[in-house]
Amino acid sequence: MIDLKIIEECRSGNFNNFRKLVELSSPFAYSVAFRMLGDEAHAKDIVQETMITIWQKLKKIKTAEGYKVWMYRIVVNKCYDEMRKKKRAPEFITDDKTWEILTNKISEGPSAALENGETTKIIEILTNKLSTKQKAVFVLSDLEGMSNDEISEITGIGKSSVKANLYHARKSISEKIEKYI
Amino acid sequence: MKPENEKFNEVVGLLKKSRPLLDSPEEIGNNVIRRLRAEKPKTDILASLTDFLFSWVYIGWVRRTLITASCALILIFIYQQGIILKRIDTLGKQTIITDKANNSTPSDEIERLLTGYKNSGHLFSSRSITISEGQMKELLESVKELQIKYKDLEKIIEEDPDLKKMIEKKLMENDHTKTNL
Repeated sequence: MIDLKIIEECRSGNFNNFRKLVELSSPFAYSVAFRMLGDEAHAKDIVQETMITIWQKLKKIKTAEGYKVWMYRIVVNKCYDEMRKKKRAPEFITDDKTWEILTNKISEGPSAALENGETTKIIEILTNKLSTKQKAVFVLSDLEGMSNDEISEITGIGKSSVKANLYHARKSISEKIEKYI
Repeated sequence: MKPENEKFNEVVGLLKKSRPLLDSPEEIGNNVIRRLRAEKPKTDILASLTDFLFSWVYIGWVRRTLITASCALILIFIYQQGIILKRIDTLGKQTIITDKANNSTPSDEIERLLTGYKNSGHLFSSRSITISEGQMKELLESVKELQIKYKDLEKIIEEDPDLKKMIEKKLMENDHTKTNL
């Protein structure tokens, strides 16, 4: 994802080098934030906050792999905070149209793709019954394609707990898919 | 759990493929850099102050040592000032006690009385004399009483010439005995 050379160049305090790093890594951070929050504006805010935190603590990063884990950890933690706020004022989407869109897209076959708005709605109806941890594990594992070890490192949850959370998330989502599609 | 549900795999596959797109990573980069630039002057003030004070030192470690030493000196100065203020405060309280005493008797008279007490054979264990306000009042009152009695005695002697002569004679005799001794 990111070359260690770019990180080292940023340590000198050069903003142009850091801009390069932001532009390269923000799509990955945005993907996780968007899938977890389902809101473009909030996801962008979280990416910005994450990048500022990274700039402030850039000296601590020793490897490119470390950077990746660290960046995702910041994103996930900020998403947790945002989701906790959201929980106080829940917005449940109980839209039958969303299930219809999903059914149509699946029937289109492998060429089908979703727009950002459609992704938001589908993730929302699939994961609205999940806990924040289950949602984070599901997004990182099944949508971002990360290993359990990586997820454990990013979320700070033990490996067995990651597996358990993933099991429950998949089970809940499978039941919904079985029910509506 | 390995979801064998085909629909689950299709839905997750569709979501995984439809990665949320960040329309303008450049915009995120610009916003982050703008925010970092806005935060930067805070640290610059400190840096410019140290530069102004220690720019004449070119060797890094010497400069750092000087900065540390000056910080330590400032801290010691503040600490000493604190101690001095505390002592002044304590002394101030003691002055009030002395002033109260001054209203009734002049301070040199007390000193004279205390010196007389010292010389009369009552040895003090140390040079300092600790005396409470109550004891001081008591002492002063007894001194006053003695003064009044002394004046009365003087009056009686002055009024009675025979008595005066007799006392003078006795005193002369005493002086003579002392000289002989």
